[in-house]
Order: sequence, then C-alpha cells, then structure tokens
Amino acid sequence: MKKIEVSLDTVREVIEGFYEYKKWHFLTLNGLALAENKMEVQWIFSKYEALEETVVYFAQIAYTDVIPSIVDLIPSAIISQRELVDMFGVQVEGSEKGLYLDEDSLQNPLSGCSL
Amino acid sequence: MKQTINIPLGSQHIALLEPVRFKFECENEKIIGVDSDVGFVHRGIERACTTKFKFDSIGYVVARVCGLCAITHSLSYTVAIEKLLGGEISKKAKYLRILLLELDRIHSHMLCLSHTCENAGFEAMFMRIMGDRELVMEIQELLTGNRVQFDYISIGGVNRDLNSTVALKIKENLYEVKQRVLGYMDEFTNNWSLSLKFKGIGALSLDDAYIFNAIGPLARASGLNIDVRNEIDYLPFDEVGFLMQTHSDGDINARNLVRLNEILNSILMCENIINGLPEGEIFTKIKGKPNGEAIVRFEAPRGELMYYVKGNGTAMLDRVRIKTPTFASIPAFSHIFVGQDYADAPAILASFDPCLSCTAK
Repeated sequence: MKKIEVSLDTVREVIEGFYEYKKWHFLTLNGLALAENKMEVQWIFSKYEALEETVVYFAQIAYTDVIPSIVDLIPSAIISQRELVDMFGVQVEGSEKGLYLDEDSLQNPLSGCSL
Repeated sequence: MKQTINIPLGSQHIALLEPVRFKFECENEKIIGVDSDVGFVHRGIERACTTKFKFDSIGYVVARVCGLCAITHSLSYTVAIEKLLGGEISKKAKYLRILLLELDRIHSHMLCLSHTCENAGFEAMFMRIMGDRELVMEIQELLTGNRVQFDYISIGGVNRDLNSTVALKIKENLYEVKQRVLGYMDEFTNNWSLSLKFKGIGALSLDDAYIFNAIGPLARASGLNIDVRNEIDYLPFDEVGFLMQTHSDGDINARNLVRLNEILNSILMCENIINGLPEGEIFTKIKGKPNGEAIVRFEAPRGELMYYVKGNGTAMLDRVRIKTPTFASIPAFSHIFVGQDYADAPAILASFDPCLSCTAK
C-alpha cells in the first residue's frame, strides 16, 4: 500500500492527473477518526491486473472542512461520498445526508468513535 | 412537456426479498431515471468492531455481515490482522481456506441462477437448482460443522482439519454438482426463457464497466478482466487452477453464463485442492497486537470485498472499514436500468445478485 498525502485544495487536481479509468480501479473513500476533532479522508485505488498495487491518497481535515467531490471524475464515487457524509457527519460537495441512516437514527456513528 | 410516472421497486418487493428501494422514473414503459435508497437496516457493525470487540473476536463478528459470503468477510479481516501481526500460516491452511471460499462461491452462484429462473417464470428450474445447491450446503456442513455461519477461519489458520471421509464426500458431491451444472449450461444456452429472452437486456458495455468501476460477475460479463483472485498473493489461487471467466455481451444472459463457468472452475479448484492437499498443521500460533494499517481484498461471489484495518498496538482497533461489492456497484446498477423496460427491472435486478445484508453492514 502506497500512501500519499494531499491537501483538500489540491486533491481533485491530483486525482485528475493520476486517475486513468482503464488503468486504475477506484475502490472507495474511507474515513478515519483522529484526535483533536480531526479526521483522515482516504481515496483508495488499485491497479487492474496488477499484483497488490494499491494507492491511497489521504488528507487530514477538521470536521468542519468541506471535502471536494470527485464524482465528475469518477461517477461511482457518489456512493462512498454519501456514506462518508452519513457516517462521519462531514460535508462533501454535492452529497446529501440520508443514504444510509434515517433522520431518527444515531447520526455520525463513526465520528470519533474509537477515541 | 413529457409525462413521467415514478414507480418504486422495493423496499418490500416480491422480486427481491431484501430491503432496498429503487425509484424508477418512467416514460411510458421505459425507465429514464433511477434513485436508490439502501438505508433501511443499518446494523453499525463497523462501529461495533472498534468499540465492543477485541481484535481476536472480530473475525467472527464480521462473518455476521452476510450469510452468503460469511467466509469472505472473516477471511478478509483475518488476513488483514495476519498482515499486521506479521505471521505466516501453513500451506495446508491456505488450501483449506480456498476450498471453503470456492464452495461458498458455488452455492452463492447457484442461488443467483435459481432466482434468475424464478424471475423468468421457470419455477421448475428454480426448484431444481435450489435442490442441487443442497449438495454443496451438505459438504460445507461436513467440513465446518455449519451450513451458513462457518466460523472456520481463525487468526493463524483454520479451525478444522479435512479428514478422508469428508474429502471423499466432497469429491462425490462436487462430481454430482458438476453434472447438474453442465445440464444447466444447456438450459441457459438453449432454453428460450433463460437465453433469448435475456439477450440484450440489462446490458453494460465494457467502457461503462470501467467508468462505473464495475466488479464481480457484472464486470466480467462485460469483458472487464477484474477478479481479485488474479491480483492478490495471500492465497495460492494460481496453484489450484484458477482461471478468470469473462464474456463480452454484458447482458443478463452473459452474467448467467459467467456464473456457470465460474462454478465449473470453482469445482475444478476444489478437486485440485483435495487431490493435492499439502501435509502439515492447520493452525500456526501468531502472537502480538495489531499495529499499523492494512488493506486486504478478496473476491466474494458478488465481486471485490475490501477490508481496511487500523490497529494501535492494543486489543481494540482504531478502524475497520468494510467495502462490500453490492454497495459499491449501486452506481453501475442505476446506470444499467436507464433505457430498459420497467417490466424487465426485476430480472435485471436479480441478475446483479445483490446482497443487501452486506450493504446494510
């Protein structure tokens, strides 16, 4: 697994430059609660027909930050962006709450849950 | 202005007894837009993994994510922990893990094919396949002690050895299943209800399979060469005869044929494992507490399953992330529905073999 740090300002540009849709397979968007009210967002890719080649772009952010959407670059990212919004209570551009969790359920269940 | 009508499929529907809702916007008979909702029975398993259970119990917890691919869930998590702990398991244990993984794939694909028959109105074939599937369920029970929740995988190996009586029974039953599957192949190729009716229906082009990151039989039926068994080295799939199965038409019929060929390949792999099972222990003690991050992927019957695990050197983990195949495929599903007749929607949905138990993890 190769991890590459990016900032929220540059992540779209970096992924646009990196992602060739017939070469890289977008796995998912992942979130990880950190201390001091911060979290890590990870964009995970694997290479088609390559042995164990996984690339993770990550950014450490505050819960109040707005995460840029990559749906125009990778349409299938919509589902994991919406999952991230429901599970961590963060904002992702153009992604609404409510795909996974109903209004009357526990909100943002993974936000800081391991701390 | 054109008139459209919204028709829901689910969350309770006779064609799909699982809680998902697709809301179709239709113009006459044609679907022109799709909205999906999967948030009906979220179970909070990811949260439970970091707040309620120690790392050495979680393999048994995540197996409960899904009844059909329980083995893939527990295996993915366990391999992630073994990567973090730095342990190496015996070759025999690796072979036995593949054996159960492939048996699981066989019965899961048979379930999907039977549902496809049911959607085609071919009830007799539905019942035949469900009856034949029992041959696989029987040997899973003999091998592990359970029909569904096996709890067979443990950190360091597997929990039960394969004795000669069970090995013989597995070979006998798989031989029987193989004969039946060759018979299905004829039905799925030549029977009007199962072939011509489904040709060209619910098709996904190769380019769209790439664009929507399609996985599993859905992707392979469109000609996309993606099978995690080809991209990992934790288990020796190449040694036991794995061959990727693809098709180029991308429609319901192609998905059925890919699944049938995968069943035959899985049977071959199981036979090779039993004939060439290495000597040795089935369990290696691996000590320590997981520290660091690991990503592990396995090919579940519905496609790529991914686990991300982060440990901190204690018995409690920081994060367990589960990316399930059906959830990741929803954008591809929605794309396929557009332009299709509403009347075909249940058959198209069944051909995706969706698993909402995995999705509502």
